[in-house]
Amino acid sequence: FCVQRQSGPQEEDEDTTFTQPTTTQVQRGLEKLTPAQVDQKTAEVVQYFLVKDQKKIPIRRADLVKHVVKEYRNIYPEIMKRASRIFDQVFGLKLVEIDPKNHMYILINKLETPEGASPITSPASPKMGLLFVILSVIFMKGGVVRENLIWNTLKKLRVDPGEKHEEFGDVKKVVTDEFVRQRYLEYVRIPHTEPVEHEFRWGQRAELEVSKAKILEFMGELHEQDPQSWTQQYREAHSTSSSSQASTSSQR
Amino acid sequence: MKRARSGGDEDAPRQNGSAGRRRGEQQQAGDGDDGGFDPADLQDEDSDPGLRREIRSKYRDLINSVQQNREDMVSLSNNKLTEVLEEANKLFKDVRQAREAALDAQLLVVATDLGKEKASQLFAEGTAFDPTAFAEHLLSFMGLNRLEDGEDEQQNGGAVDGYLPQDAWHRVARRAERCFSTAPSFHYMMGSFHAEPPPPKQRIERQRKVPSKEAKRIMPTQLKKMEDSHQEATEKEVERILGYLKSYYQDDPTSPISYYEFVIDPNSFSRTVENIFHTSFLIRDGLARMYLDSAELPCIAPVEEGEVEAGGTFSRKQCIISISPKIWK
Repeated sequence: FCVQRQSGPQEEDEDTTFTQPTTTQVQRGLEKLTPAQVDQKTAEVVQYFLVKDQKKIPIRRADLVKHVVKEYRNIYPEIMKRASRIFDQVFGLKLVEIDPKNHMYILINKLETPEGASPITSPASPKMGLLFVILSVIFMKGGVVRENLIWNTLKKLRVDPGEKHEEFGDVKKVVTDEFVRQRYLEYVRIPHTEPVEHEFRWGQRAELEVSKAKILEFMGELHEQDPQSWTQQYREAHSTSSSSQASTSSQR
Repeated sequence: MKRARSGGDEDAPRQNGSAGRRRGEQQQAGDGDDGGFDPADLQDEDSDPGLRREIRSKYRDLINSVQQNREDMVSLSNNKLTEVLEEANKLFKDVRQAREAALDAQLLVVATDLGKEKASQLFAEGTAFDPTAFAEHLLSFMGLNRLEDGEDEQQNGGAVDGYLPQDAWHRVARRAERCFSTAPSFHYMMGSFHAEPPPPKQRIERQRKVPSKEAKRIMPTQLKKMEDSHQEATEKEVERILGYLKSYYQDDPTSPISYYEFVIDPNSFSRTVENIFHTSFLIRDGLARMYLDSAELPCIAPVEEGEVEAGGTFSRKQCIISISPKIWK
């Protein structure tokens, strides 16, 4: 299953109002409801996710239970199972729990966009270009970079965190706040630095959504080099552990 | 009574400060174990404040230089970091007290961080990745029109002159999209209605909230009923006040009317505040004017009929009047 949850008895939640029901509880709960009711509730959950995902900020289980699942919480696992299946089969999306501790979910695309991409799809937001630049630099530099390297690189591209940018507005905010909340980036303080400095890493969402191999491919095109010439990055991009990244086939 | 560390000990230069302290305490024992050491010398060294200060100062200098020259220290092209550590080792030999040792520890912390960073630069086997070159290539990809004839268009003081097309970042995004498997954002293909917040209601220019409760001070007539339209009530009150002002003025045009005497109701603070409020309208509309008399006290007088022009040629001034129950009393 795509949904990763902690199975087993009640674990300690930050949302003390919701604890995972046991399988027997779920069974009993299902018996009391009609299939139509369960379907309806599942559909509501699906819609909630789709709308919430617009901002690309992870969806909290606590919110989901409080606002949508409500009294059906005793069959929560079953609802999630069905919702997951709907995302997969109807929308070609994967529901992933990126934070098992705090129970936060995101949706990612299971499908491969064909090369000659359809012109109907909405044009990509320029912010994605900005994000791409940052993620690329981090990846090519081994996975962690000091923030100054990012700021300096962006400056060369006429994007200055100290000034308002025509396209992106408050660049610093977009990079250190928006992208971080969306879990594309991590922005962490480096201890013992005076004045305070931070480092950037890939966020959980980036690990799932972004293909390192494809980034390397683009790098190769830009530099007119063979992607394999960056041996370490190439190795990392094509290692088996990158199964967490989106793959072409949909996995049941 | 072996000394914890001897002068010529190369093997363990980085023993902690407590060794030094112990040594200091041992100075009473006074024996000449390590060739040439005289307890008397030791005593001087340990307690000579000048020397202590010097050592601490040298440590601080080292720490500063490491922090200021971070880029340098971390660069793979030199051994400056190692030199700093060697320098610190030398200094450490003379460390006797906890204060100095603490500085040594601080230096070590900073140096370690730099060491870690320096090591991480050794990451790239194979071709190194140069972000500057990356930026250059990307600018070309975006369609940067580099200026041919050395025209000095200093755009953002950028290293490369030239002009980026409007859709520069869109181009990057389009290409970059392929690397992402982002779920497409949910949106209606054709909405059933235009989902936009309703246009804001037209604001009424005048203040709407007027607590028009009771009458003014001279004639304590009670207004038993609240007016339905608060707006009208204000205007009525304002006119009323104007009426009083004019009548006082006519009674004695030469004698200035003290502003405070005019607005204050000795029996009610809230009425006083209302008076001030209504009077302010007169000023705003140019129907009355305020000025300071010879005693620098504010006075008020109506403006002559012929002179009345709201927002006229008089220079506009603003003034804030505050009053509290205490002052009022």
